[in-house]
This record gives sequence, C-alpha cells and structure tokens, in this order.
Amino acid sequence: MSNTASGKTPLPGRGPEQARARRRGAHPLARFLVRRLLTAVLLAWGITLVTFVLTNLVPGDPVAANLGQRALGDPAIVAQWRAEHGLDKPLWEQYALHLQGLLQGDFGTSQQSHRPVAQDLAEFVPATLELAGAAILVSLVLGVGFGVLAALRRDRLSDHLLRVLSLVGISVPTFWLALVAFYVFFYRLQITPGSGRVDPALGGAPPVTGLQTIDALLAGRWDIFASAAGHLITPTLVLALYTIGLLTRFTRSAVLEVLGQDYVRAARAKGLPGRVILFRYVLRSALVPIITVAGLAFGSLLSGTVLVEAIFAWPGIGQYAYKSATTLDLPAVMGVGLVVGVVYLVINLIVDVLYGVIDPRVRLQ
Amino acid sequence: MATRSQTAAVLLAGALALAACGSGGAQAPAAQSGAKTLVIDTSFDLKTADPGRTYEPTGLIVGKATYETLLTFDGGDVTKPVPALAESYELSEDGKVVTLKLKQGATFADGSPVTADDVVFSLTRVRDMKGTPSFLLDGVEVAKTDDSTVTLTSKQANPALPYILPNPALGILNSKVAKQNGATADPQDKAEQYLNSASAGSGPYTIESFNVSSQVVLKANPKYYGTKPAYDKVVIRNVEAATQKLNVQRGDSQVALNLSGDQVTGMPANLQVKKTASANVIFLFANQNQEISKTTPNAKFVEAVRKGVDYAGLLELAGEGATQAPGVIPSQILGALGADQAAKRDLEGAKAALAASGLSNPTVKLEYPSELTVNGLSFQPLAERIQANLKEVGITVDLNPAPVTTALDNYRNGKEEMGLWYWGPDYPDPSDYLVFLPGKTVGERAGWKAGSDKTVEESGEKAAAAVGDDLRKQAYADMQAKLNASGPFIPLIQPSQNIVTAASVTGLEYHPVWTVDVADLGAK
Repeated sequence: MSNTASGKTPLPGRGPEQARARRRGAHPLARFLVRRLLTAVLLAWGITLVTFVLTNLVPGDPVAANLGQRALGDPAIVAQWRAEHGLDKPLWEQYALHLQGLLQGDFGTSQQSHRPVAQDLAEFVPATLELAGAAILVSLVLGVGFGVLAALRRDRLSDHLLRVLSLVGISVPTFWLALVAFYVFFYRLQITPGSGRVDPALGGAPPVTGLQTIDALLAGRWDIFASAAGHLITPTLVLALYTIGLLTRFTRSAVLEVLGQDYVRAARAKGLPGRVILFRYVLRSALVPIITVAGLAFGSLLSGTVLVEAIFAWPGIGQYAYKSATTLDLPAVMGVGLVVGVVYLVINLIVDVLYGVIDPRVRLQ
Repeated sequence: MATRSQTAAVLLAGALALAACGSGGAQAPAAQSGAKTLVIDTSFDLKTADPGRTYEPTGLIVGKATYETLLTFDGGDVTKPVPALAESYELSEDGKVVTLKLKQGATFADGSPVTADDVVFSLTRVRDMKGTPSFLLDGVEVAKTDDSTVTLTSKQANPALPYILPNPALGILNSKVAKQNGATADPQDKAEQYLNSASAGSGPYTIESFNVSSQVVLKANPKYYGTKPAYDKVVIRNVEAATQKLNVQRGDSQVALNLSGDQVTGMPANLQVKKTASANVIFLFANQNQEISKTTPNAKFVEAVRKGVDYAGLLELAGEGATQAPGVIPSQILGALGADQAAKRDLEGAKAALAASGLSNPTVKLEYPSELTVNGLSFQPLAERIQANLKEVGITVDLNPAPVTTALDNYRNGKEEMGLWYWGPDYPDPSDYLVFLPGKTVGERAGWKAGSDKTVEESGEKAAAAVGDDLRKQAYADMQAKLNASGPFIPLIQPSQNIVTAASVTGLEYHPVWTVDVADLGAK
C-alpha cells in the first residue's frame, strides 16, 4: 500500500503553471481520489481478464459438471446447453460479450442457479458483509484494545497472556478453529446456536439491507434480531481471531515505540491527564502502521470466509464461490472474482484516505 | 506508566464490544420453538425447482414435495408403480402405449383442478425443453383422449415408462400459471425463474423460499386435497457432513442425509440411524479400445482383475449397510442378480488367468474422481484397496485421480485405460442399464464399440423388447450374466445410504430416486 498522496507536490516554477498547480492543489484529496478511482477501474478490468483466462485454463468441461450422465450422452442436449450459455462461441468473443455485459451491469447468468449472477451476488454478498463487518469491528476494538493494554502493562502477566492469545490467533488455521469452536460451543457447552444465520423456525426478517440483524431491527422483530446476533457470535470470533492476534502484536509495538518519545514524556511532565495522553498523543501517532496492517488483514479476511462459511453453513459469497468453482460455473466465478477484487481496491482506497485524515504530514504534502 | 483509568477504559471498550455481539445469546433448538417445523440438513446438489429441469438429488426432494406425478412408488418399494394423479394405468400388449385414467378432484395450490391438458402440457414441456431430464420422455407422444384420459405412445416397446413416470422431473404443473409466467415448452422456455420462487404444482407443499446454495423452505399447501402432511414447514439446509452430524445430535436439525459409515457409528440411542444399500453401483472397467491400451482389451486380463479384487475387503471399507453388487443392476430393481451370483475373490484363478493372458507384469493406469463421494463414501480408499489387491495378482496399478470435472471428461471420451466410477439409476427400471452394452453410453466409455460382442448385444436386445415382469426379470438377469462373463465391467459395491433422524421423526424410508419424501414423515 504505497502512499501515493506523497508524489503529487506541485513543482515550484513559472507563473501560470504555478497558478494552475495551485488551483489543482486546492483539492488535493479530490484529485487523489479521482486518480485512485481511475487506477481502480483499470485494475478491475485486469481482474476480469485474469479471472477469465484462469477459469478457461482449467482442464475440464463445464458441460460435464452441469449435466447428468444420461443427458451427457445426448448430443442435442449438450449442444443446447452450450448454446444457452454461450460456450459454443470462440473464447475471445465470449470475453468480449462478458465485458460488454459488465459495462451494462450484467454479470451473465449462472450455470448453476440459472439466475443472473448479479442477482445471486446481491443475495450472498450481504450475508458475508454482515459476518466480515462484525469480524472487522470486533478485531479493531479487541485487537487495538488488547495491543494498547499489552503495551501499557508491558512485561506483566496480562501482557504475557495477551501474547499467547495473539500467537494462537495468528498460528491456528481457521478451518480447524471453526470446527473446534462449533463442536465446543454449540455441541458440548450448548451456549451458541447452530448452522445458518437465523433459527430456521423463525425464518428471516423481510429483506431490506440484506443484513439479517439490521433487517430484524427495521421490522421491529426482536426475536429474529436476538437469533441473528446469536448466530453471528461464533463465526465472527473465529474469523476475527487471526486479525485480533495480528493487530494486538502490531498495536503493542507501535504504542511502545510512541510511549518512549520525548513529546509523550513532555506531556506527562506538564501534568496532562493519562486519558488525554493515551488517545491524543500516543494512539494517534501509533495508528498509521496499525491501519496499514488492518487494511491488509481485512482483505485476507474474505478468503477466510470460504472455510468459515462452509462449516457454519453461512449462506455467503464464500460458499457461492466454492460451489461455483467446483462446478466450473464460469460467469459466477468471474463475478465473485470481480467483487472480491473490488473489495480489495476499496479497502486500499480507504486506508490511503485514512492516512491523510490521521497524519497531518500527509495532508500538508 | 499507565493509570488505572486508562486500563479501565480499554477493558470497558473490549467488554462493550463483546456484549454487543453477545446480546443474542444461545437460542433454543429449532425443534422446540416451532413444534411443526422440520429441519433437514444435506449437502446441496441443487440447481432448480422447475420440475422440467430438475435432475439433482436435492432438487428431487423439493420436486417430490411440491409437485405430483401421474404414478408414484409406495415407500421405498420401486418394483411396482402405484397411482398418484392417475388413478390407474394400462400398458398395451405390445408395450408401446400407456393409457392413464386421471383421478378426479385433484387441485393445484391455487385451487384450480388438475386437467388432462395440464398433463399433456407438462410432459411435452419436459420432452421438448431439452433440459437435463428430457431424455426420460425421448420419442414419447403425449395425447389427451378425453377429459380424464391421457395416452403416452412410444415408437418401440417401452415397458419402462410406468417406472419412469414417478420421477419428480415429470411432475404436473398448472399449465395456465406456467404459461402466464413464460412457459413455452421449447428450449426458449422462460418459466424457470418463476418456478424457483413459487410452485405451480398440486403437491402437499409449496415453496416459501428457494436458494440453490443455502436453503429451501417449504410450507404446507393449505389447499392440498389429500392427507395433510405432519409438518407445517420444512427447512432444507445446505450443511457440510461434519456439521450435519453435530446439528442432528444437538437437536438443531431433525434429519441428516449425508453421513458416512464412520460418522454414524456410535450415534447416541436417542437418534435413529437408517442404513440402506443405495441404488448406486460402483464399478471398475477395463478399456476395450486397442488404441487406448494394449493390456486392458485382453479378455484374460479382465478375468484376472475380476478374480483378483477382494470384494469382501471393499465392503468392509464401505461400512455397514453396503452390499456387493452382483451385476450392474442394483438389488432394488427388477432383474437384479441374486447375491449367490456375485463374484468372489480367487487369487489362484486370477494368477492363472494373468499367466494365460500372455502379459508379463502388466502396468495399468486407473483413473477416478478424487473428491467425489457416493453416499459419503470416497473413491480414494477404494482405489487404493484395488491397487493392493491387484498387486498380489501381479498387476501394477498406477493411481491417477483427478477432480471430477476433469476426470469425467476423460471418462466420457472413452480415454481411461481403467476407470473406477458409479452409475445411479435415472429411473428404477432395468432398461436404464442397457447403457452398459457395446456401443451404448457407458459401453462406449469403456471403449466397447457396437458389434464387438454379439452374444451380449443379442441378450440386451431381447431384454429391451421383453414385456411383462417375469419375462423382463429373466431377460435382464441373463443379460447381466453375459456381461459379467465377457464384458469389460466389474461391478463392485452398492454403498450404504445412512440417514440419521431425531427420535421424534417417524415414517422415514430411503428412496432410490428422491431420497426422502418429506410429506411421508410423521411427528411423534
């Protein structure tokens, strides 16, 4: 994540050019955003190309994955299926059609669900967003909180305990953790609910945002909200544990570094309250490296959802991606690839913007 | 150093976050909150709820609950079709015409009556839409004789038709509603999207919500004209096998459909475990095409393999409930060979056959799908066991697993030297197994071209033309005996289908076509 904002200082020089530079420089953030968005579009196009080429390189025929053994023996059915999904056209034409569709907001039709991929994504993305969003929230609060705590209580018992926790979080594989957590909390201790997003007997709240907890609140259904929030706990914690561990480690070292600075000592010396020192002096300076790590970690959170969703039967994009990949559902795989790619781009963009918000030096440049 | 208030603030923030997430707390298991909701966990194989396109196991469960067919089967017995929307049927003596008398008083979910026109439209639609199940009615003409009579006419004798009609893909839909929503009964038919969100059938359930990769919710059809089903709501969820096991044990679900033999051992006594030999037959084949292999077309080589496989050992691997397949036709279906006709291991005989083949220390490549499981049984351990068995005979087997989509490609194109695959019945009639003959779908995959084995082909033609249960039974048994004697296929086992249910669920029967009929399930 390079800090691109630093590279655009207007060159001091002749009159009119300088004026233009000053005019442009009036909204450095806007210019920066426009440039990043243009790059993002290029990158998104690159993603479509890579996913298309990769999915077509896979040995194996989507026909075999989608038709029954008996139907495969009937050339008329096979031909009809190929024509229906545009697989009878040359590859370059398939790609051109795909791109043309994308420009019109059409992701193609899934070979699995026979529905527009956009419609499928609209259904599955919110479930993943809810889970990943909760995990991001929990890992930010706990990861940063634990990190600060560990730094403040350096070399005491709580520091050592948090070190063990973060090492466990970083080193334990997610799929294993998911299985064990499900077994222990759901089956053994019986304190968390089972598979899915909500109790099947309750059914879901009428979809507005697609986020079950929010929709339940909007509908005023507290029973559904409680059930949905309950179903969120274990998968969220499982998914968040890695980022919690990572953030704890990074926050701890960042805070420790700042704590040793002269200006912190000076603040203490002039008798500022501890709260002010922590939030306004220490945390603020420590945030830049923390945000860098958080951005990267949240991107990788999406890959973790594939496994967590499989084990908790969470109807999200991870399950959809897995199913599409194993059945060579080309349009769906490309749709998922594009969404995940765009999420990465957006997170990177947010991180870059946040640099400017937090660090005045970046803004001044 | 940190002050006490700093520490407290940080801890408080953490605690708040936890509390916010934890406010839901643990829920009561589903079974208790709504007495009449049934939760079924299964690994989804589902594409559509449009009966005319349905062909996957999960889709057939949904189709069976939401649509009715002309004929059906009673429980798990597939040897005799019984009335459903048709109150009676008659097969003409030459086996070409099936005449069906429709039941009076049957109604669709919107209350309108089921008519002969609906039947003609629905069946023609399946045939002409060229979807996956359209081969079921290939070449069958559907006609209405009067308001309560429909005839199905085939060009050749088609005694299998009454066994095909119960397939949920041939469910009768409300033609008026379907047409309003884009049904045209040709490849351009657009009704699927509508049929995935609502059901236009006369079955005991209707679709409340439908999602191909997470869950399907069925609710009891309030206008169902028959006996009301025991559960008001049935939720079918897509759940991994390992999670299915924990869910059903904890009471979060009442039915788990995809547990392997290992997973169902040691189930607590409050759960019911049903182990039934499935109708899937796992078999081995040796390619007969000289261009593919110089080794496997040798008849003595095939004999050596047939005698060299340790069938009892494979059964042990497959777990309780599995049975050896004596022929390609599974035990449930008319014409299946008796257990006494099953091949047995004869190591000395195998070695002798190999010596007589003239091949010395042959090496062959065995291909199979690496990640495919049939009734929870994976191909990998079976292939390894076969490799070890044949090693003792003197045949070296190189294992060559591939993901199913890749492996299937080679298999379909007849390029595998040896293959380990399975065949599940498309409909419970022995005519579905004519595909194993030379020149037919599976025969070709084993490089067995038409005309390469006259005896087997003649016995197949005889079986296909036979009319009447006794004659057919005999003819198909004879065909399989000949297949076993000189064909390239070595039938191995029928794995066990294990279904675990809560003690409260009654009346569960494993069905080889639609796995389970949810309307048949009772509550205790």
